[in-house]
Amino acid sequence: MRLPEVERGDGLRTRMLIRVISLALGARLPDAARVAFYHKGFVGTALGAWTQAAMRGPSEWSVAERELMAAMVAMWNSCPFCVGAHRAIAVHGMDKAVADAALAGYHTAPISEPLRATLAVLETMTLRPDELESEQVRAALAAGVTRRQLDDAVAVAAVFNIVTRYANALGFAIPTDAEFDKAAGMMLKRGYA
Amino acid sequence: MSTATEESHRHRAETLRTAMAGNTAITEAVLRTGVAARAAGGPPVAEPYDDLARQIGEASYRVTDAEVAAVREAAGSDKAAFEIVMSACVGAGLARWDAAARVIVEATDASA
Repeated sequence: MRLPEVERGDGLRTRMLIRVISLALGARLPDAARVAFYHKGFVGTALGAWTQAAMRGPSEWSVAERELMAAMVAMWNSCPFCVGAHRAIAVHGMDKAVADAALAGYHTAPISEPLRATLAVLETMTLRPDELESEQVRAALAAGVTRRQLDDAVAVAAVFNIVTRYANALGFAIPTDAEFDKAAGMMLKRGYA
Repeated sequence: MSTATEESHRHRAETLRTAMAGNTAITEAVLRTGVAARAAGGPPVAEPYDDLARQIGEASYRVTDAEVAAVREAAGSDKAAFEIVMSACVGAGLARWDAAARVIVEATDASA
């Protein structure tokens, strides 16, 4: 991590918390959690609440589908930490082969047409936001995506266009596959807030 | 017509925008909002903040140790540098939220 105080924790209580959770997890606490604990009076509380609502709140998308969307945004933004973390959570609720096929190329992956059309919107939103047009949204609606699903999906993408950037900018350490799996279990149990 | 879920996300997006620009930080609000706008493709800000904000907006995977170290030195502490990094990220993310929310309204109003 490029800012040592974020890695260590700001204050005795946070440093103890990092140590206790790492022991319970049986692995180094991932840097995403360290950021969530740091300087919470700034944007952490607001971002955590939105992330929790987008990823675990009521939605017509499953938790696994939303985690796959997060992993896709991470892939488009070249964020290996977030690809690994959110793929590991997604595969608790969907076939690993389907998740990996989507990450390799969602246009041909064995996913639903509404999810495919939604990912097309999220890809443009992430990589070329100036080119995002209502025509692409209409195409998604024609593919069976509901307005509510679109609202929820772009919220997931907005949040992860933030998270992936700070993961890259702060230089998050990349856990092993086994550590990603352990953290995924914790994220499914505890959520993001 | 907006949905309850869109209203909920919009409220949370605005809460985040307000927190980024608010008074719970140690850096100047004008610097944070300038960095956020820069990461969303807006006008340049002072160096070394400009390099980092632009890089975070365009290609965060290319951010270097030197860019973060320069901002850490100019800002004076890890906490201040953290605020700059987070403001840039929030600016880039909320710009995408704004763009998507706008085209969804255009598409659904036209088809209503």
